[in-house]
Amino acid sequence: MHDLDLASGGSGDLAIDVAMMTRVEGEGSLRLRVRNGVVEEARLEIFEAPRYFEQLVVGRTPDEVIDIVARICGICPIAYQMTAVHAFEHGLGIEVDPQIRALRRLMYCGEWIESHALHIYLLHLPDFLGYASALELAKDHRPAVEAGLTLKKAGNQLVELIGGRAIHPVSVRVGGFSRTFRRSEITAIRGQMTEALDIARQTVDLVAGLEPPAFQREARLVSLRHPGEYPMNEGRIVSSDGLDIAATDWLTEFQESQVSWSHALQSRDLAGRPYLLGPASRITLAADQLHPLAAEALAATGLAEEIRTNPYRSILARAIELVDATAEAIDIIDAYEPPAQAATPWTPGPASAAWATEAPRGLIFHAYELDQRGLVRNARIVPPTSQNQAGIEADLASFAPQVLDLPMDQATHRIEQLVRSYDPCISCATHFLNLSVEDLS
Amino acid sequence: MSRALLARRPRPPRGGAAVAVEVLVCGSPDRGDDGAPMAVMARLREQLPPDVKMRAVGMLDVDDLLSVPYGAGVVIVDAATGIDPGAIVDLALTGLIGRPDGLHPRSSHALALPEVVGLAEMLRGRPLCGRIVAIGGAHFGLGTSFSRPVNAALDPLSEAIVQAVASVRPPVAGPA
Repeated sequence: MHDLDLASGGSGDLAIDVAMMTRVEGEGSLRLRVRNGVVEEARLEIFEAPRYFEQLVVGRTPDEVIDIVARICGICPIAYQMTAVHAFEHGLGIEVDPQIRALRRLMYCGEWIESHALHIYLLHLPDFLGYASALELAKDHRPAVEAGLTLKKAGNQLVELIGGRAIHPVSVRVGGFSRTFRRSEITAIRGQMTEALDIARQTVDLVAGLEPPAFQREARLVSLRHPGEYPMNEGRIVSSDGLDIAATDWLTEFQESQVSWSHALQSRDLAGRPYLLGPASRITLAADQLHPLAAEALAATGLAEEIRTNPYRSILARAIELVDATAEAIDIIDAYEPPAQAATPWTPGPASAAWATEAPRGLIFHAYELDQRGLVRNARIVPPTSQNQAGIEADLASFAPQVLDLPMDQATHRIEQLVRSYDPCISCATHFLNLSVEDLS
Repeated sequence: MSRALLARRPRPPRGGAAVAVEVLVCGSPDRGDDGAPMAVMARLREQLPPDVKMRAVGMLDVDDLLSVPYGAGVVIVDAATGIDPGAIVDLALTGLIGRPDGLHPRSSHALALPEVVGLAEMLRGRPLCGRIVAIGGAHFGLGTSFSRPVNAALDPLSEAIVQAVASVRPPVAGPA
C-alpha cells in the first residue's frame, strides 16, 4: 500500500483515510469516520478527472459512437460497445443474424475472462493470502500467477480475434461487424479456450477455499436476467426484491445524482435506495442459467448463499463466471457458421435508443436520442461502478464497526479488501458531470 | 492453494536472440500527448539497425515483456505525467521496483510498471536488460495533436530512444 495517512482517536473511534486506493482501476480514495462505534461517514471518493464522453458523442453517427465509447475504459471496452450497438439496433429496429449475435457473445466472453482473471489473480488474491501485491504473491505462488496470466491472455486473444485488437477493439458495427469471420479463424482459438476452462475450474477450487472475513448483510442486488442464457448482452433488469423491467427502462426505476465528495455520479433507485451489481448479483439472480459446468462448479462449493450475503465472496462469483464464460466460448466456437453477410444493412434516422448489458463489473446502461439525420442529439452512459458506489458506501458503513478492535493496519487492509471486492473501475465511473458552484460569500 | 494449480509447470523458455533489442512502444495515437511515442516510431524505423525490433503495445502487459527474446535488450517508451511536459526521462529497469518516487499507472492500467516488470522478470527467471524512456505530457484527452512542449521534444525523444537502444544492446562477440 502507499500514500496512507492513518490516525486513531482511541477506543471506539476510528479514522481511516486511504489517500490512494491501489489495485482498483483508476484514481480514488476512501474516507471512513467512526465515533463511539457508530459510523459517521463512509465515502468512496472518486477523483479521477471527469471524462466528457456523453458530450463527445453528440453529433456523431451510431457507428462512430461505438468506437468512441470503447475508449472510456481499457479494461471493459466491449461492455461499452455492446451496450451502445444493442441500443442503436433496438432503437432503429434492426435484426441481426443469429451468428452475429453468437459472435458478440463470444467477444463479451473474452472480456469477462480477461477482466475476471486479472481481478482474481493479480488484484484480489494478494489480499486473501496476505501479500501487498501480485509481485509479492508471485514470489511464493508463481503457478497461481501464471495461471492468472494464461487466463488473461486467453481472454485478450479472444477479444483481439473478433475485435481486431485487444484494447479498444474496432470491428463492431451497427447490424453486425466490419467483416465476416471464417470458421477456421474462430476455431483456431478453441485449444486455448479448452486450456482456459481447465484453469478456470481449478480457480474455483482455489478461491472457494479462501477464508473471507466474516460479514453478512442483506443488500439489494440488481442484474439482467434472460430466460434462456446467463445474462450478458440481453435480458430484463431484475432485482432481489422483485423488480422486473425491460433493459430499455433503467431510467424509470433508477436515477443518478451528484455528491460533493466524488467526481462520479452516484446511482440509486427512485426511492433513494442503494443497490449492488456485478458477479454476486448475477449469480444470485440468474444461477439457474449458468452453463452446466459452471452450475456444477457452484453447487460443488455449496457457497451460493454466502455469495449473496458476503461481498468478500465475490472473488468466488468471478471464478464461477470464469468457468461459465470459457465453457460457453467453447460451445459458441463449436457451433459457429459464418453469417451470410457481415452486417444487416440499415438506414440512419431518428430514434430513441436505450439498452443495458452486463459488464464484468455489473449492469451498464446507455441511452441515446438520434435526430432526423441519425446523429446523436444527446447521450446518457451509466457505468456499473457509479451505480455501485452508494452500495459500496453502505457496505462500508455496515462493516466498519467489525474492525474497530483490530490494529490500524489490519483494519485498513480489511476495508480496502472490501472495496476491491466490487472490482471498482473508477476510470469508467467518472463520466460527464454537471458541476455547480455554491458561492458562500 | 489448489494442488492442480501448484502442479502447473513454468512456461518453457523462448529461443534465440536474432533480435538484439526490442523497443516496446506504449500509448494511444488518439489520446493527445499519449501518442508521442507512436509518432516517433515511424521516424525511428530508418535510424535503428535491422536487429532492433519495434512493437506497438498500447498498454504494457506482462506478456509483452515475456515475449522479448532471451539475451535481447528492451526499451519501453511511454508518455508520463508528473514530469514537465516535453521533459524526457530515461531510467534503467534494474532497480525500478521499490523506487521511493514510485511509478504509478495513470488511469485504468491495472498494474504499476514496476509490478509488470517484476512479474516478467520472475517468470522469465532472469532480470531484463532494459530501460524506460518517458516523455512528459500535458494533454491526454481525445485528439491527435500534441501539446507544444511535446511537439518540440519529438526529436530529443527519438535521440533518447536511440541512445537507450545502444546502451542495452548485448555485446557482440569479437572474432575468435
